[in-house]
Amino acid sequence: MSARQAAHRERGSRSIGLDAVAAGGVIALVAAFAIGSALRPERKSDPVHRRATRKARDGAAILGASVLMDSAMEHFRGGFHNRAMVLAPATAAASIAASLAEPRPDRTGRLPRLGHALSFAVGAAGLGFHFYNVTKRPGGLSWNNLFYAAPLGAPGALAISGLLGLTSEALSIAPVDGNRTGNEALAWSLPEAGRGLALATGGSLLVTAAEAGLLHFRGAFHNPAMWLPVTVPPATGLFLIGEAANPTDSGREVTRWAARGVAVLGVVGTAFHVWGVHRNMGGWHNWRQTSLAGPPTPAPISFTGLAMAGLAALDALGSEERSS
Amino acid sequence: MTDDRFDSPYPRYDVLEKWDTPSYNDQTREALAKRMDEVPPRRFFTAAEFTTLQAVCARVVPQPGRAAPVPIAPFIDSDLHAGRGTGTRYAAMPDDRTAWRQGMAAIDAEAKARHGSTFAELADAQQDSILSAINQGECAASGAWRDLPAQDFFRKLLLKWIVSVYYVHPAAMSEIGYGGPASPRGYVRLGPNEADPWEAPLSEKGARQ
Amino acid sequence: MSGRVSVLDDAAELRPRAVSGRAPDVFSREDCVPMAQFRDEEEVDFAIVGTGCGGGVLAAKLAEAGGSVVAFDAGPFFRPLADFASDEREQEKLYWLEERISDGENPIELGSNNSGRCVGGSTVHFQMVALRFRPEWFQARTKLGYGADWPVDWREMWRYYEEVEKACSISGPIRYPWGPKRGRYPYRAHEVNAAGLVLARGAEALGIDWAPTPLCTLSAPHGKSPPCVYRGMCKIGCSTNAKQSVLVTYIPRALAAGAEIRDLATVGRIETDRWGRATGVAYFREGRWRFQKARHVIVAGYSIETPRLLLNSHSARHPDGLANSSGLVGRHLMVHSNHAVWAEFDEEIRWYKGPPSMACCEHWNYADDDPTKDFDGGYAFMSQGPLPSDFATSIVTNSGEFGMDLRARMAKYNRMAGLKMVGETMPQADNRVTLSEGKDDLGLPRPRVTFGYCDNDKRLYAHALDFMGRMIEAAEGKNRFETEGTAHLMGGCRMGEDPKTSVVNADGRSWDVPNLWVCDGSLMPTGGGVNPSMTILANAARIADRMIAAGRRGEV
Ligand SMILES: Cc1cc2nc3c(=O)[nH]c(=O)nc-3n(C[C@H](O)[C@H](O)[C@H](O)COP(=O)(O)OP(=O)(O)OC[C@H]3O[C@@H](n4cnc5c(N)ncnc54)[C@H](O)[C@@H]3O)c2cc1C
Ligand code: SF4
Repeated sequence: MSARQAAHRERGSRSIGLDAVAAGGVIALVAAFAIGSALRPERKSDPVHRRATRKARDGAAILGASVLMDSAMEHFRGGFHNRAMVLAPATAAASIAASLAEPRPDRTGRLPRLGHALSFAVGAAGLGFHFYNVTKRPGGLSWNNLFYAAPLGAPGALAISGLLGLTSEALSIAPVDGNRTGNEALAWSLPEAGRGLALATGGSLLVTAAEAGLLHFRGAFHNPAMWLPVTVPPATGLFLIGEAANPTDSGREVTRWAARGVAVLGVVGTAFHVWGVHRNMGGWHNWRQTSLAGPPTPAPISFTGLAMAGLAALDALGSEERSS
Repeated sequence: MTDDRFDSPYPRYDVLEKWDTPSYNDQTREALAKRMDEVPPRRFFTAAEFTTLQAVCARVVPQPGRAAPVPIAPFIDSDLHAGRGTGTRYAAMPDDRTAWRQGMAAIDAEAKARHGSTFAELADAQQDSILSAINQGECAASGAWRDLPAQDFFRKLLLKWIVSVYYVHPAAMSEIGYGGPASPRGYVRLGPNEADPWEAPLSEKGARQ
Repeated sequence: MSGRVSVLDDAAELRPRAVSGRAPDVFSREDCVPMAQFRDEEEVDFAIVGTGCGGGVLAAKLAEAGGSVVAFDAGPFFRPLADFASDEREQEKLYWLEERISDGENPIELGSNNSGRCVGGSTVHFQMVALRFRPEWFQARTKLGYGADWPVDWREMWRYYEEVEKACSISGPIRYPWGPKRGRYPYRAHEVNAAGLVLARGAEALGIDWAPTPLCTLSAPHGKSPPCVYRGMCKIGCSTNAKQSVLVTYIPRALAAGAEIRDLATVGRIETDRWGRATGVAYFREGRWRFQKARHVIVAGYSIETPRLLLNSHSARHPDGLANSSGLVGRHLMVHSNHAVWAEFDEEIRWYKGPPSMACCEHWNYADDDPTKDFDGGYAFMSQGPLPSDFATSIVTNSGEFGMDLRARMAKYNRMAGLKMVGETMPQADNRVTLSEGKDDLGLPRPRVTFGYCDNDKRLYAHALDFMGRMIEAAEGKNRFETEGTAHLMGGCRMGEDPKTSVVNADGRSWDVPNLWVCDGSLMPTGGGVNPSMTILANAARIADRMIAAGRRGEV
């Protein structure tokens, strides 16, 4: 193959349009949801448990969807110049499917956990990779690189989505009667699982809000609404962690409302970002540029995912109150 | 001069392919369409001066192998006809119009002094050597230049004007891989060896990096 | 193209647009905003000549303080969204292209190089580099031993820098490496493009600081302006409205506060009465000469047109021109030496993406103690991103290269990077603007600009060329070459403490004619080693406050 042909092929691969990536992302998303739901037979169990499990896994799935779309778009912007870049959206898709599938007591039940563990691992590795990428640029660990070089928040979100998946797995397999079976590595009681999930979501909310903070700071908080995602979610995260440490009825109620607020914020935030893209030069008509240059539309919904997992954690924690 | 061959690093790229995309806005389409479709008629130069100018343009920006060379001389003519100036008249030089007329006459005089015929009639190499000499300020027909400083005229007026007409043409934008019109769209990928899908694809050397 | 109404037919250059109580809405493609209108016979508080950095700021602030204001500009009133094409030739409509004579030892290029002609002034096509003076420069004579002192305290100027940086939503780095600590820029710095990263790489290799350039274009939305799309055509006008030129910042403010803007209105003379006081301005609009009465006249036409207008407004009482008892009108004209080094790189840089100068280095503005510094004053330099025609013209005027060599060099366009200096030149009395014999189409004498470098200027740019050359080499640039040139204009009507050595006082009020003011780049006693517009804006904001305060004291 001549150099010219090689270059031509390069060009061919480079010319995958954003439309193709967006379409691919949507297809992956739908497929992941379909596979996940197909693997989700109804299971008889305690309603609280069931509700909590469902909520936690739906939350994890939403988070996964946000990560999938975001990483697909960002890595498209980077031209997938490193083959490993396809890993992020791929594992995010696996995580979604895993979150929607119902765990089974048999060996296949390990598969979803494997998927989440993979997301976690890939996210952590990506974090390292992005960090290295930032430090090797002129300026090193500078604000400009934190703003514009490979984002640290994105692989972080993938890791979080894996972590959340794992914890909701723990929740879903927690024995309802409070008796541990002992043959599972993550054999927590329901309230214990709730506590774990509360800690995980609380921490994740803090981290995710930090990333929103960085990006909104980059946007100079030009709209006062941009302060919301850097105040409400971290407060909710702290409440959740507080609940994990010291569950109380009243605290739970406040936290529940806060988490609902965060869930709504995720939806409203998405609308804001869609509008923000439209406000860029050329609006949606110029979407191939504006959807990359404007605020990331898939990002805010991750708050909704986290909030749902948080609500699940509160449900589970509540079961402890009742049972004790 | 080097041999008369030009290889664009971006042989398959054409800025005009983006014509109907958000890289172009109406006012840009209109300005470019006008430039490409309406080549102005000669109104300022005499026929003889214009012939010399065309010959000079063909050596300053040689376009071998191009079926329809980018027209340059007609735009200089129309600028001068319209009195469209550069905003700078160097004190040592006459006004733009006088300078151009005098300059064309002087270039022809150089050709006659050296080779006994008009500039346009000379072979490429002879034309090039005359222009090179003028660029060094070495004049054989100093009388013909009168008060016009040859090197300043050549660089600050003649070359400058010619390249400023050539390098705004879509063909010239394409051959150097320039992004061309870019409003409202703009660009997203700003780093080294990065290109948006609507830019010239990275050249071979860049793609290998 | 048939069947569609031509967008360029309704050209702003042909007919005034700010008429009948309406002015163009610069954020729209064809709409208008309401505008106050004054009759010629009505004596307005302020007639302002020019609507750039100086005139635009004054029009807004004086109108907001309740003054009646008419601001004139010789150029058109554009709506960037509809009028600005992505085309270097078409966009020459932004420049002052009337013939002006350039003379002297080192005659400077005028026109597109340093003079705008439209509502918003040169900021409509400036490159948006938004730097501040070094504090000591305001006392260059006392503290650094060269040039002249400004009649202003640097701390006061720094407060006004903050004001105008906010008004223009400057996007700048969080930590600026040079000079005293400054407050946070209103917007965050932009992503540094590949051309800027070359500067960064070179600076890090040589062990000196660099910074993302503070720029006058948005990194996030503001008001009706979307953020920058990195289309890179800032020098030929921003059709995005991301650039926060005076046209989209102070002019809308001025209109909203009740100022009238008159586009395509050239002021030819300032008239004075028997007592030598200014009575108003004679201006040419819509094919005829008219006269606007005014209590105060403010001249803000920049360093060539301001002296030209004052010199041309001579009368029996002011035979050498208005405000010229010191003989200094038109003198001490300064430019910045604008030499550059260019090199080829292995990677594709594609400097046409993004504002042209996204990384900068002010090292030599602050390196007083460096033993290799063999000159007074300072220089900054920035990464570059010239458009094709601009780059080609600078090559041919510098080297005379032509033919296939030129085409081959231009074919490396996407692999080039460059560093260009903004070098301080010394104020010299003989670098000046005078009136020539020739007349323009309106019958006004054409200006003659005389300029020559002094030895210090030459040492300064030689130093810069050497240093930038080392830096671009350290960044792994190959086949280096240099170009020379000038940028910006400063001085020509310097302000000062003493009527014998300056044209106006610290408030911009002329020593000779109490109701005649100057407020633009021509006031600058020294040029500094940074691009001037932020300093001109800040100085104008300060002067506006001084005028308003004087008004409250009954002195205006
Ligand atoms: C290509 C270019 C790039 C630049 N880049 C930068 C940069 O990156 N950073 C920076 O700080 N500075 C830059 N500058 C310089 C900056 O734009 C000017 O210094 C600044 O705009 C000067 O402000 P001013 O108010 O003195 O004059 P201007 O802004 O030029 O305004 C003068 C106005 O007065 C009008 N006028 C003049 N005479 C008359 C008359 N008789 N009647 C009516 N109207 C009249 C003119 O039409 C013009 O609009 C750049 C300039 C140019 C040309
Ligand atoms: S690069 Fe930014 S400021 Fe410059 S013309 Fe484009 S949008 Fe405007």
